[in-house]
Amino acid sequence: MQKVWAVLFGVVLALCFGLFVAAYFIPGWWLPHLANEGNWGKDVDNLFYFILWATTFFFVLTEVILVYAMFKFAGEPGRKASYTHGNHKLEIAWTIVPAAILLVIAFSQVQAWEKIKYQSRAPLPDQIIEVSARQFEWRMRYPTVKTRDDLVSNWKGDPTKANKLADRWGYDYLADFDDLHIGNEVHTWKGAQTRIYLKTRDVLHSFFLPNMRLKQDAVPGKTIPVWFQPTEANGEFKDGKWVYDKDEGGKEKVWELACAELCGWGHYKMQGHLYVHKDKASYEAWLQHALEKQNVRTREKK
Amino acid sequence: MSDSHTQDVGAHHGHTELGFIRKYIFSEDHKIIGIQFLFSGLIFLFLGGALALGVRIQLAWPNKDIPVLSNLFPHSWGHKMAPEFYTMLFSMHATVMIFFVIIPWLTGAFGNFLIPLMIGARDMAFPKLNMLSYWFMWPAFIILLASFFVDGGAAGAGWTSYPLLASINLAAPNSGMGQVLWLTSLLFVGISSMMGSVNYITTIINLRATGMTLNRMPLSVWAMFITAILQAMALPVLTVALILQLLDKTINTTFFLPPGGAPFGNWHTGPGGGQPLLWQHLFWFYSHPAVYIMILPAMGMVSDIIATFCRKPLFGYKPMVYSMVGIAGLGFIVWGHHMFQSGMDPRLGTGFMLATIMIALPSAVKTFNWLGTTWGANIQYTTAMLNALAFVSMFVIGGLSGIFMAATPVDVYFHDTYFIVAHIHYVLFMSSIFGIFAAIYFWFPKMFGRLMSERLGKIHFVLTFVFANCTFFPMHIIGIGGHPRRYADPTLYKFLEPLQGLNVFMTVCAILLGLTQLIFVVNFFLSLVWGKKADRNPWHSNSLEWSAPSPPPHGNFETEPVVYRGPYEYGHPDHNEDYLPQFDPSTVGRGTPVHAH
Ligand SMILES: [Cu+2]
Ligand SMILES: [Cu+2]
Repeated sequence: MQKVWAVLFGVVLALCFGLFVAAYFIPGWWLPHLANEGNWGKDVDNLFYFILWATTFFFVLTEVILVYAMFKFAGEPGRKASYTHGNHKLEIAWTIVPAAILLVIAFSQVQAWEKIKYQSRAPLPDQIIEVSARQFEWRMRYPTVKTRDDLVSNWKGDPTKANKLADRWGYDYLADFDDLHIGNEVHTWKGAQTRIYLKTRDVLHSFFLPNMRLKQDAVPGKTIPVWFQPTEANGEFKDGKWVYDKDEGGKEKVWELACAELCGWGHYKMQGHLYVHKDKASYEAWLQHALEKQNVRTREKK
Repeated sequence: MSDSHTQDVGAHHGHTELGFIRKYIFSEDHKIIGIQFLFSGLIFLFLGGALALGVRIQLAWPNKDIPVLSNLFPHSWGHKMAPEFYTMLFSMHATVMIFFVIIPWLTGAFGNFLIPLMIGARDMAFPKLNMLSYWFMWPAFIILLASFFVDGGAAGAGWTSYPLLASINLAAPNSGMGQVLWLTSLLFVGISSMMGSVNYITTIINLRATGMTLNRMPLSVWAMFITAILQAMALPVLTVALILQLLDKTINTTFFLPPGGAPFGNWHTGPGGGQPLLWQHLFWFYSHPAVYIMILPAMGMVSDIIATFCRKPLFGYKPMVYSMVGIAGLGFIVWGHHMFQSGMDPRLGTGFMLATIMIALPSAVKTFNWLGTTWGANIQYTTAMLNALAFVSMFVIGGLSGIFMAATPVDVYFHDTYFIVAHIHYVLFMSSIFGIFAAIYFWFPKMFGRLMSERLGKIHFVLTFVFANCTFFPMHIIGIGGHPRRYADPTLYKFLEPLQGLNVFMTVCAILLGLTQLIFVVNFFLSLVWGKKADRNPWHSNSLEWSAPSPPPHGNFETEPVVYRGPYEYGHPDHNEDYLPQFDPSTVGRGTPVHAH
């Protein structure tokens, strides 16, 4: 009868394990579609799976031993437990082996982390956007094609200079009268090294692109550059309209932008969308279209 | 090592006849104070639980018509939960559970009750200070409860209260008076904890009975000792942070406001000269160690309970102590793992990551030693033991899931998703609370002289174990799906649509989990009155508290206890019984436990 407790533990733990396995196969219950597979997005996922395997191993190992011991050594009247205060060799083994595994896990993260966040490792951008968060929306500023080319593309021969100019635009010293201002839309194109100059006007927010495995808090008083390179598009700008690509399931590839740091009552409403154009031409067509709309509006106001 | 000769046992018996108020209200007796902490924690557990159910209900059916409940929300909210009310719910849920339930239960209730009894002291070193440490909780209770009724409601900027959302009055409807009261209330909690810590440290160093060497202290005492040191070192930093934010909010200092200031609607704060990240460093310098304050005492108590019901010596006493010291030491240099995405220099992130991943090592060592204890045991499945084993099996999950967030690149994705919510609940609910349940079932007879019902206890355990896993385990899955935490309405997002069914499932289980706790309350209070009378040592356990009457009188022991051996001499081959208490004068198994073979 005492052994039934081992069964209870075994069943509950097995169900937890089962849910994890099932989630992998149920559409929408696992990591969202990865859209920068060709870039560090793949590193993040690989490291996730590496840790998942290592932790699964220890989970199964310890829980199986526990449940087995609960079953095997369930109390019987009159029996005495074995009398031991420990085992030196075992202690050393189960200190050194996990220590080694943990060290491997720890050091295998370093490279990817540098690639994602170290500013000294930021790639030269093809596309620059200023994102300024506020309660409860994202405001984006895009340079015109000409400004962007002047800042970045024309300095390919001198990356330091290009970086410096892009920074000056992003930190706002070079803000251009012609820049496009638009809300909650991140536009870039497939393969473009995209650099975001992230700011906030009021409280903390966090710029979260699940499909790019990208997250960065926006901090009052700071401008924080972040970057990503989509290696897959989710649509194109055609005949004055954005048209989504479909995934294998026939569903539109809607990629969202979310706020990941509590910023007030409307935190959940800070939804945006990520538009990765199939090529630069599609992006520039959209930019042209959006600029025209903006300029009509400004002219009408006058 | 022992100062026991200074404790004049006989002389004290003269004035045990105290009035009701001195005896049970403004009591200086560590046992009564512990029980006071236990009762107030129980009340707040239900407040915190109710707040959590509010959160769950909103997440399952955001902005939907819910029968009966919808009518409770005022007309001005459109009979729906207002989002600022939702932010208040989760902020106060965490605040209540952390600062008013788990920490007071572990250190206030069990630290107080167990330390003098387990080391063979008559009371704490400073009984008056001990009394004050409980009564300083009362301003905190009152201020916290009052904050629900002020304009804008109780604090809603998260239990982390990050500036500027928390520090600027106009940043949120509940960042005004509600936040001011939140800060004030926590200041009182901090003072109370500090008084407790100083007392515990002094008591353990000075008042151990004859023969109670450090190496013979039960792990509960070691855990309380290490926790008290952690608390004494970390709390001043939290206090400073709370005061700075209070000054920012009341006399417009700008410790956390950046030079440019910030606009809110038509109003501008004016220029500041501070740094929002400063708060995060100060806050986590305390609140990461606080995570260990909320788990170490449970680890200690669970170790004692497991050894008792395995009828077998605890496996690896010294590694168990060293690993707790390791956790506490490393615990001070890992706070930055909460700030990987905060805009802190990423090179610092690398350092914090290495330290954080390595802190899994002492936790692993502890787990293996618990497993080693069960190996070859003769396990008695009491309710206390079941809860203790649940602690071990669930702590494995909570410990392992932490590694995902410790790994900086993986954390880029998982930070502030439901994965971290799953992790914290596997540590704080599935581990700490199961540990506390184990401790309550185990020491209830010593506290009140009666046993709790084992039958009700087991029903309570099974249902809690099942429903808690159903409530918290799926949070890992929606976390992997990218579900952000603290969202009043996740259904706006396409990528979260497939996860909504799990949200509903978790909410239903959470409600059942909440109802299950009523069984515990019924058991607790019925047993207080009608429980089976307990003798001194109902579990045939070894440590000193079991030599005292149940419940122990004022002054604890009839004769001054003497300690002859370590606390884990179960199943000694040269002894008839399968236990050999620390206070048993038999010549068998004397000397400190030798860790050999
Ligand atoms: Cu936001
Ligand atoms: Cu931490």
